[in-house]
Amino acid sequence: MRSPFGSRAGSASLPWLGFAPGIVLFGLFALLPALAVVGYSFTDISAVPNLPWRWIGLENYRRFFLSGEAATNRSVIVRTIVFCFSVTVIQNAIALAVAIVLNRRMVGGTFVRAVVFMPVVLGVTVIGLTWSLFFNPTGGPGASLWGLFGMDSAFFGDSRLAFPLIIFVQIWSSLGYSMIIFLAGLQAIPPDYYEQAAIDGANAWQRFRHVTNPMIAPAMTANVLIAIIGSLQTYQLVYVLTGDRPTTSVLALKVFTYAFGHADQGYASAISMVQFVIVAVIALTALAILRRRETQL
Amino acid sequence: MRRLPIVVVLVLVYLFPLLYLVNTALKTPEQYFRDPIGLVDEFSLRNFADAWEQGGFSAYVANSVVYTFVCATLGTLLSVFIAFPIARGYIAGARWWMTVFVLSLFLPNALTAQFQLILNLGLYDTRLGYMLLMIGNVGVGPLLIVSYLRGIPRELDEAAGADGCGYFRYVVRFVIPLARPVLATVFILQAIGIWNDIIIATIYLADPDQQPISRGLFAFYGQYSDQGTLLAAATLIVALPLILVYAALQRVFVAGAISGAFKS
Repeated sequence: MRSPFGSRAGSASLPWLGFAPGIVLFGLFALLPALAVVGYSFTDISAVPNLPWRWIGLENYRRFFLSGEAATNRSVIVRTIVFCFSVTVIQNAIALAVAIVLNRRMVGGTFVRAVVFMPVVLGVTVIGLTWSLFFNPTGGPGASLWGLFGMDSAFFGDSRLAFPLIIFVQIWSSLGYSMIIFLAGLQAIPPDYYEQAAIDGANAWQRFRHVTNPMIAPAMTANVLIAIIGSLQTYQLVYVLTGDRPTTSVLALKVFTYAFGHADQGYASAISMVQFVIVAVIALTALAILRRRETQL
Repeated sequence: MRRLPIVVVLVLVYLFPLLYLVNTALKTPEQYFRDPIGLVDEFSLRNFADAWEQGGFSAYVANSVVYTFVCATLGTLLSVFIAFPIARGYIAGARWWMTVFVLSLFLPNALTAQFQLILNLGLYDTRLGYMLLMIGNVGVGPLLIVSYLRGIPRELDEAAGADGCGYFRYVVRFVIPLARPVLATVFILQAIGIWNDIIIATIYLADPDQQPISRGLFAFYGQYSDQGTLLAAATLIVALPLILVYAALQRVFVAGAISGAFKS
């Protein structure tokens, strides 16, 4: 389509002129690097400037899957997937329950909604420090809470408890986001559907199953996919709360650690690619299941 | 009223950690040492002043304000100029560009290749390099704007064109004002990301004078990890502007979250 602005020669290129700066920045700093990672994964390039590098074929992948590091790497992959599934399932279950509770008119409902959504705005550093202080082993409220049950713990310093706590903080941070999306889905359901169901004698569970559940299927699809992709890619919270430790590290944090802690950027690129494939497989499988579910409901 | 206990627990789980932070930040170190979780007895703002001073927060805040405003403004502006010709088909391959923006949300983590690029451009440890990365990371912005602009009738373009209005004047004088709601959303999504960034700043900005506030807070945490009252005050210094802006513009934030979810 020709733009209707100006009839002079060259005026047809004006839309391109406006388009170019943004697309160049986006292409150069976001799109191309994401594609170039594939190439770097076949090299031994480092983070040190001007150091010579070579093509080493599949060596980085062999190192990841078959060398002495393989067992550690497998446990990191398992932990990443555990993180993804726990966050996706628990977060969406609670978010849906909270959205249903808050969907009805109530005094202070807007305030409660705003409070639950707030961590989405706060950012990982503030959230990480807040919970570190809360779970300060010497005298934080978390320690007092544990004390009520006669227990004590080093919390983020405890090798068994640290990871479950990170999962908790992650869900705490992003629950509001899922909740808002479910609320938007719930508000789109016409009230007559519930009235009709009530006339037909449906109880609360039946109304949920036959009215709410099918009507919020698109919101469920969006929420589950966002949670899966987000939780497989996030590592900022782990970085702030515990750093890269054998008991808490996830795949995306390994990319960061190898790229900048060990300056081993070829290997880090290969881990990036492994992560990308895992995200793609899990997200596409989930998408297929969710789409089929949407059409069946 | 079976809902009440659920709501009360929810509010507690969300507000208690923040109230604990406020309570701690207002205590003297001696009181915190004696009774870490008791209510504050002598109310004092000393910790805020001390944290601000010792953490060098004025420089960090100034950096973050500049990074956030400049990058989010330019990022939003460039996104409009990307989105408008795509929405109208004024450039070839409009459909294809849409696909590129959608796919870009799912591509591999680009940290390593980005680093090599910045290194080779000589932009490592420069404000310019950091800001270019932040501006280029437009995310869902162009997609949100495209779908909004499709709701603005094309006849308006033709009428303005027939009256002799130029392309850039039209975008600035008509498209931008008409698209204000979606532009506010895009600006805020990008601004939150920049204000809260810690990873990119950690990687690219080695010089403390150039670092933004999240990085400053994290460094402060490393240095004063045993001083709860100072840490609480420092955390609130970083969180407070966000909470205030959020309280004032809650609607825009929530609208942003919803439109972002259904576009991606």
